[in-house]
Amino acid sequence: MAMASPIIEAPSVAQPVADPVISTVDLTKRFGSFTALNQIDLSIPRGAIGLLGPNGAGKTTLIRLLLGLAKPTSGSAEVLGFNAFSQGIQVRERVGYMPEAECLPSNATAADFVGHMAEMSGLPKTVARQRAADVLYQVGLNEERYRLIKGFSTGMKQRVKLAQSIVHDPSLIFLDEPTAGLDPPGRDSMLELVERIHHMMGMTVVLSSHILEDIERVCDYVVIIDSGQLVLAQPIGGKSAEGAQLSIQIDGNAEQFIQRLNALGIHDARLRDRMMGLPEIVIRHPSDKAYDAVRDTAVELDVALVSMTGRTRSLEDLYLQAVGAEALDTDYYGGV
Amino acid sequence: MAESSMTPQPGDRAFGEIYDRGYQHYTGPRLGRAHAFRALTGYSMKRALGAKKRWTAKVVPVLLYVAVALLVIIPLGIQAFIDSAEVLQYWEFFSVSWLILGVFVATIAPEMLCSDRREKTLILYFSRPITRLDYLLSKLLATALLTLTITLVPLAIFWLGRQLLDDAPVQAMGDNLGDLGRIVVVSVVVSAYLGALGLMVSSFTSRKAIAIGVIIVAFLVASAMAGVLQEVVGNQDQKPWFALISPAQTIDDFSGGVFGNVQFDIEIGEPLSAWTNGVAMVAVVLICCAIMYWRYVPED
Repeated sequence: MAMASPIIEAPSVAQPVADPVISTVDLTKRFGSFTALNQIDLSIPRGAIGLLGPNGAGKTTLIRLLLGLAKPTSGSAEVLGFNAFSQGIQVRERVGYMPEAECLPSNATAADFVGHMAEMSGLPKTVARQRAADVLYQVGLNEERYRLIKGFSTGMKQRVKLAQSIVHDPSLIFLDEPTAGLDPPGRDSMLELVERIHHMMGMTVVLSSHILEDIERVCDYVVIIDSGQLVLAQPIGGKSAEGAQLSIQIDGNAEQFIQRLNALGIHDARLRDRMMGLPEIVIRHPSDKAYDAVRDTAVELDVALVSMTGRTRSLEDLYLQAVGAEALDTDYYGGV
Repeated sequence: MAESSMTPQPGDRAFGEIYDRGYQHYTGPRLGRAHAFRALTGYSMKRALGAKKRWTAKVVPVLLYVAVALLVIIPLGIQAFIDSAEVLQYWEFFSVSWLILGVFVATIAPEMLCSDRREKTLILYFSRPITRLDYLLSKLLATALLTLTITLVPLAIFWLGRQLLDDAPVQAMGDNLGDLGRIVVVSVVVSAYLGALGLMVSSFTSRKAIAIGVIIVAFLVASAMAGVLQEVVGNQDQKPWFALISPAQTIDDFSGGVFGNVQFDIEIGEPLSAWTNGVAMVAVVLICCAIMYWRYVPED
């Protein structure tokens, strides 16, 4: 999918945040000569965090390191204030994990297995059983919980995986590609569940995905990784002036229009692309003066103003800015 | 019918109860790593016996329990009618029940490890507050405890039955406490030994059927190989050591030694002492643990 070239200046990769739920310093993981993660510096706040990157970018490796399941080649990581490598047990007591791959025992009932996972997380037996029933109900499995998992659909299995990750009421959960293999309605309801987990249950969610739409719908902060490099870590969809743009489509000479805007003191105007044969001009950080200048220039040059849209920076913009247009293929739209 | 009987009454549990199905945060205790270890051990034992599975999963364990129960009940029954009859000695139990024990371990050990590998459940266990070593030790403990149910429990019942058949049961129990201690020692060592061997073989495959077959065949082949080497090798001093290749012979010699019944074979000579066999069995357990650790704790 051909996309427009980025016009926004590259921001700093990651800014430190107050009271981070996850922080890493120079985190590097190599498998032989292959570098899976290279000097990752992260400081992630509480909230719904999107971990975005193409398949093989290093998302799952990062999650495994943060869970203390693998040792880093160098660097350090803290999760919920605990060192992920020397205090992995404490981290895993407080964290939930939903892997991407199928990982459920086929010959067990959902209630039995989720209850067992609750016990494995340190909950007393009777409480574990009760919470398993409650959580399975919360994810939409009621009477089905007494059936063997091998008879479940993909969507139901994903719900069981989600249930086992939240049954012990963790402060933070890692969801690795939770919509993988789901049809559109299944994907929609899974994302709805993830939103509920964050908003109603108050858990910090780290949603790993290669689909822009999933992250944009659920998350308020994004971490983009590509080829083991941290590309970007910042909030999504903020209304800050930094991310705001004014997009104009005109039926006329775009270069002349931009020159005139520059003459009126609007220096952040750039020609972006031609959409449907019409040139699109984008103005960064538009002030009230910019709107007036556009109107006056259109009148002065006798140019038809086809559209004028104010917008905040979208995840797509962030990704384009960080990775480049060529990296944005249809895969990021979930194959749509 | 009176109208009052149709009307919900205050306190009637069928009506008027409000269920809050909203999400509740957990504020109770978190019992940590030791609790997780116990939970995994208990769950593994139940699953290996077919609990909460279809009835077909329970058939083999139940048949083996019945077989071993008959093994001690029948001699006790005979002894109850014929005072002088001592159909089964403690040390003979392992020789007689060897096949049952082998099949039992071959049935439960793959169940402990293979399913978790095949169905990739391991990642869920490792995302809990346990280490990979905890996982392995928990599985070893579960296998050994289950094997104890088919070694220690029937032997202890056999011991108790023999004392109760005595004219002075209480005094007999006091006099024969040493035998009970020896039963415990032999059962614990044998259970750990067989359990570790079964688990070690199971750690190399994710297919239960393959693991079961390999365990049974390996036990039989090892016994045959030990016999052949004892026949072929001329050096009389070396012959008893070949018995360590065979789990059946090792267990036999160990239990015989602990109960003071050393059987001299004119072809092989005097078997190794109970201590030597015991140390060898413990060494085998440690080697099996090291191999499993290597299998389950990758470089990363």
